[in-house]
Amino acid sequence: MQPIASGRETSSIPPQPSGGAPVARPRRIRQLYTGWAPYAFLSPYLALTAVFFVYPFLNAISLAFYQTNGPRTRVFVGLQNFQFLLTDEVFHTALWNTTVFACASVFLQLPLSMGLALLLNRGNDRIKGFFRLILFSPNLVGQIFVGILFGVLFTPRYGLINRVFHALFQWGLEERWLDNPNLVMPAIVLTSLWIWVGFNMVYFLAALQTVDKNLEEAARIDGANAWQVFWHVTLPSMRHVVVFVVIMSVIGSYQLFELPLALFHENGGFGPDNSALTVIGYLNFVAFNSGDLGLGSAVGWVVACIIFTISLIQIRIARVAKE
Amino acid sequence: MIEKFPYGKAPFWLFVIAITSTLVLLAVRRERPPRPDLVMVCFSGAHKAAYEHALPRFEQSRGAKVQVQLANWLSLRTRLQNAMLAGTEVPDLVEMFAGSLGFFTRGPREDIGFLDLTERIRAERLEERMVESRFSLWTARGRIYGIPHDVHPMMLVYRRDLVEKLGIDIDQLKTWDDFVQVGQRVTKDLDGDGIIDRYMLNLPQNGNWALESLLLQRGGQLFDEHGRVAFNSDETVEVFRWYLRQTLGPQPIAHDCGWRQPLMKAVSDGLALFFWAPDWRTYEFQDGLPLLRGKLALMPLPAWHPGGRRTSVWGGTGLLISKATQRPDLAWDLAKFLYFDREQMGRLFADTNIIPPVKAAWNLPELNRPNPFYSNQPLGRLYADLAAETPPVYSAALDAVAHTKFDAAFSRAIEYYKDHGEQGLDQKIRSELSYAEAYLRRMEARAHNLLAKE
Repeated sequence: MQPIASGRETSSIPPQPSGGAPVARPRRIRQLYTGWAPYAFLSPYLALTAVFFVYPFLNAISLAFYQTNGPRTRVFVGLQNFQFLLTDEVFHTALWNTTVFACASVFLQLPLSMGLALLLNRGNDRIKGFFRLILFSPNLVGQIFVGILFGVLFTPRYGLINRVFHALFQWGLEERWLDNPNLVMPAIVLTSLWIWVGFNMVYFLAALQTVDKNLEEAARIDGANAWQVFWHVTLPSMRHVVVFVVIMSVIGSYQLFELPLALFHENGGFGPDNSALTVIGYLNFVAFNSGDLGLGSAVGWVVACIIFTISLIQIRIARVAKE
Repeated sequence: MIEKFPYGKAPFWLFVIAITSTLVLLAVRRERPPRPDLVMVCFSGAHKAAYEHALPRFEQSRGAKVQVQLANWLSLRTRLQNAMLAGTEVPDLVEMFAGSLGFFTRGPREDIGFLDLTERIRAERLEERMVESRFSLWTARGRIYGIPHDVHPMMLVYRRDLVEKLGIDIDQLKTWDDFVQVGQRVTKDLDGDGIIDRYMLNLPQNGNWALESLLLQRGGQLFDEHGRVAFNSDETVEVFRWYLRQTLGPQPIAHDCGWRQPLMKAVSDGLALFFWAPDWRTYEFQDGLPLLRGKLALMPLPAWHPGGRRTSVWGGTGLLISKATQRPDLAWDLAKFLYFDREQMGRLFADTNIIPPVKAAWNLPELNRPNPFYSNQPLGRLYADLAAETPPVYSAALDAVAHTKFDAAFSRAIEYYKDHGEQGLDQKIRSELSYAEAYLRRMEARAHNLLAKE
């Protein structure tokens, strides 16, 4: 294994003497120069990170123990914010909705993405490129746009989706996807599929192209069918990408916010009987609509802990599967 | 030179780009124009256009410069609140949407970023000169923070051509019972495919704004005048029950026609015959359905009981003055100029169909002119005749939460009604309202932590 070259070795400056011998003045200046220069280059990034990440991160820790009215007035309430969350039915509903959505993402969206990637992987490069663009493009327009668009598509009687269901199954012309609490989550999942299936497919397609064709060929010669080749050769070969996509999907799902907000903008993204409310939607509501930044911080910490735990479990499962 | 740079070519060019862009930015930097004497922000393009038309007269008479800015109402509300609490620059005057005041007055009184206008309003007897009930929207803890821009009385717009063809006598639709009776007769599947093609009324199935409007008409409220939760009442149970019957009952008369294009198509197709119409919505129909010119007309809402209230309200805007303004008296004069100037009010009505809350303006020729789109009815006059009857709408700090809980209670009532019909419905509604009320009381108790600082 080759050692990684340091910045000094890759630069055009010759190696410096390690000490003892008198050093010429220009060389010392250069040494000093090379000493602070990396920090000067890094300083804009470090300053921005300190202001917009480190400080808010640390502030959010203390804020979670306060009740606030916006940024001005605050009262120390100890663990009351966390206590409130433990007993708040609306937060539990939001957490449940988000978890259902995350499960749909992993068990519905990702298999679909994988299926499409496998299909496209067989086509020639021109077809592959065309469909990759077509399937990826919904991701370019943003969730708010998609939310508004699907809000129209889900319109009872006149909406395209209801018309298609009615034409195919003689059902659904008057179905109120966005008013019926039982249909709200399917509507959100359906909309999110349109956005994200193509996006994840691109990852899988890229990973499929790195799979060793000789291994697949050898498995086929040994009598493995298509499913066995996929399960025992292809999938393990792209394990790292699959783990990455699953973790990113779960994190993305727990951060779902804009899509329900756009679909249910009339009632602030809550949906009927809170059926569209997500944890980030709840956070937004308590922090910026109710003005309680303290409770919002507490929600943020709870969500961060959940995501961290789930990611750890996923990584552990992936490691066990490898072993 | 590039070769001598210690970290190679790429960092060198990054360094050059950073230096060059900084120099370019400095070179093209323009002096920020001086702040006008007053900055006003509104969320309606029509309002902005009308104000900009009128402002030169004010500027000339007062020797002051005024700038009007347009902003999305939701982001305006959040950003304004944060700017006020953080002490950064804010506009002098702001037009806010109904229901927003609680958002700004939920904390200690010192945190309220708007001027208390109570004394000024009382000194100039504005409550008498305007529709008094509209001040309730802009009152918190007994103090008035805004001047109402409108009244928004509610009427029904109907397809006059179809209604006449069906032999419906509008004058006989005096109560909701009369209305339902006729509705059950005309709501029909016209082509026999099992799907109803003509409904009597447009009602959103999830309740939403229509439910609250009906509750207000019935005499109920979400909050009382002290900002306390008040929706757990007999009136609410009655309104919920009525609403469920009309939208989901065995003989429904109402259909949810949606918003914007689907709504316009529903009006155009005659999917429903009667549509809710506060004054501002009449302009949407007028603007969106030019082919229906002369085929629509207006009638007052049927009353809940004979001789009862024939209108309700939906929406509202008000003008508030920022506490941080350097020129409170000039801002107050501008507010009065924009909201009380006769020419200005006439023009705003002509552009928006919105009647002003100033009683003296109701005799303006613009308001009394026949409107050919609405079968030559004098639109302004019809709404003005109902304006005094409009119910008050009280604001509260928990306004947003209360609406979500009220909607959730109705959603659960819908699910119950679908499964059980009317059996045990009243008890179910009552229990859901009690649950929502208990939740809001808990939130109120939490808010006391902050208010105790006062």
